[in-house]
Amino acid sequence: MAGRSLRAHLLRMLLPPIAAALALGALVSYFPTTEPATHAYDQALVDIGLALGSHVRVMQTEYRFELPAAVEQVLRTDRFDSIYYRVMSPAGMEIAGDPGLPAPPGDAVAHDAQYNGAKVRVVSVQSPCGRSTCTVLVGETMVKRERLARELLLQSIFPELFIAIATLLIVWFGVKRGLRPLARLSDEIKSRSAGDLRPIDAAGAPEETQPLVSALNGLLTEVSAASRNQQRFLADAAHQLRTPLAGLRAHAELALAQPLPEASRAQVEQVHQATIRTARLANQLLALARAEPGARSTTSLVDLKSLAEGEADAWVHQALARDADLGFELAHAPVDGDAFLLREALANLVHNALEYSPRGARITVRTGRRHEGSAAPDSARQGGSAFLEVEDDGPGIPAAERARVLERFYRVPGTPGTGSGLGLAIVREIAASHGATLAINEGMGARGCRVAITFPHG
Amino acid sequence: MRLLIVEDDAPLASGLQRILEAEGHAVDVTARGEEAVLAASQEKFDLVILDIGLPQMDGFEVLRRLRAGPGGGGPMPVLVLTARDAVDDRVRGLDLGADDYMVKPFAMPELTARVRALLRRSQAHGGPRIAHGPLQLDTVARRAFLRNEPLELAAREWAVLEVLLARVEKIVSKEAIIQAVAGWGDELSPNAIEVYVSRLRSKLEPAGIKIRTVRGFGYMLEEYK
Repeated sequence: MAGRSLRAHLLRMLLPPIAAALALGALVSYFPTTEPATHAYDQALVDIGLALGSHVRVMQTEYRFELPAAVEQVLRTDRFDSIYYRVMSPAGMEIAGDPGLPAPPGDAVAHDAQYNGAKVRVVSVQSPCGRSTCTVLVGETMVKRERLARELLLQSIFPELFIAIATLLIVWFGVKRGLRPLARLSDEIKSRSAGDLRPIDAAGAPEETQPLVSALNGLLTEVSAASRNQQRFLADAAHQLRTPLAGLRAHAELALAQPLPEASRAQVEQVHQATIRTARLANQLLALARAEPGARSTTSLVDLKSLAEGEADAWVHQALARDADLGFELAHAPVDGDAFLLREALANLVHNALEYSPRGARITVRTGRRHEGSAAPDSARQGGSAFLEVEDDGPGIPAAERARVLERFYRVPGTPGTGSGLGLAIVREIAASHGATLAINEGMGARGCRVAITFPHG
Repeated sequence: MRLLIVEDDAPLASGLQRILEAEGHAVDVTARGEEAVLAASQEKFDLVILDIGLPQMDGFEVLRRLRAGPGGGGPMPVLVLTARDAVDDRVRGLDLGADDYMVKPFAMPELTARVRALLRRSQAHGGPRIAHGPLQLDTVARRAFLRNEPLELAAREWAVLEVLLARVEKIVSKEAIIQAVAGWGDELSPNAIEVYVSRLRSKLEPAGIKIRTVRGFGYMLEEYK
């Protein structure tokens, strides 16, 4: 199905908010966990600061810092980070340690700063020295802290990522599953024949699709009512034409039966022929209206053999009038169809064969069942597709014209006679309305024309 | 013969009247079903041509009343005319007792041929003699005459000829002939029918009676001209 995929659309809609929620979730769970950790690490630095402060000696006006090398070694050793310190007198004079370690601004106890080209965390500890207080700054690079932060972040992100992926998968498959009733609905509509305008059964459809189904049903009802009206009008019009045409024909034939001056006879003959053509046209319009998709057709099991037998008498008389040899090769060919339309299709084919073949033509009407690709009837076996065909040994239809002769009102240029050009178009419509295929080929021995309608198997 | 035409379309009715009068019949015309029922109850007609699409009382109702009348309208054949071709109409008409059925517009020669066939059948009905041009069959004595000369017919030739004579100008399938003749005992093949027909031909054709073969279907006894 072309157009936008509902699934892709839903995913596009869901993906940004899910990603945002994920990020927010990570942040929200990250900070509360890093806060206590940072605090604990800071406390360790404060402890070091206090320990360092206890090593400041006050000598009269001088402060001295005496730290045994072994102690300094222990203090400065850490598995991951480098530790710095700086001891300052109450007056802010440098006493010992790493000069330049930045002090927290203002009253702050701890801050992040830059030292020796690395990020450091510096805490400031007030340590008593004499009657005053000295300041001990302790700094530490951030390796431990960053590692902890990374671990915390990952720990909080993994479950959320899992939930997000699960959500997307659920959407992807859930939408497909959720849309299954819609798919069933569309299958039901797709499997319908063009003429099937019955309302869709709403019983199996989920509540959410009920408005869609009832809207569709409303449309179907309107379309089928409109189509019925049109069919009825066309049928009535065609039927109404028949009685006056019968009168016209009766009088034309009466006139022709009387002695007439040669000129008048030709004119009355024209009137007579025109009447016959008009009657035929009325019949064809009727057939066309009834073969139209959506027409209310009365389908029943029709044996094409019986159908041909029923019409044989009328055709044979027409053939005799044209000196044609009309023959039959009829085997049982049951199809589900509209008897009137099938009769009209067969009548049109026979009429064409009679009309466009020279006098003395040999015309054969065949019905039966055969397997695809086989030209010969297959009456011995039960299977095969039902077919009907009419073959003549007349001029045939040039291969280049075969597609065009199926168009309404098209006649092969130079064709004699006065057909409407509707015959084969009607046959095609009737074949299509029965799901049958229409094929135009040469007749036996590459002569004449063979038109076959093959019905779907079954 | 006396014919009644029930048709409300005046040009068609007058056309039919003139054609049938030209055939030598006495023809009455009415446009109303009620009048047709009344006329048929008071006078004897040999055949009624009845349009289905009449105003007020339609053709089906007229047909029903004709057949419901005394003696079911007797042997009087009814040829129904209709402008509709719905199969139901056809079946309904025949169920109600119509003898034949024609869809408008029809060719006059076809109508007159059918009228002749119906009249022949109804006249032959009960009568022991069937005539077809120079051919005469005495069905009681089972004797045939051609140009007033006795004609020798084998039992099965007689049976086949009877079937064809009952449906002059209509094609009769081989199956129908076999069915009609099969009462005579053993099974008949289509080939056997061909043999009987060819024998009949050699006997009848010199007198101008033609049996036409309809390839792959059956035979038709042509109208004698």
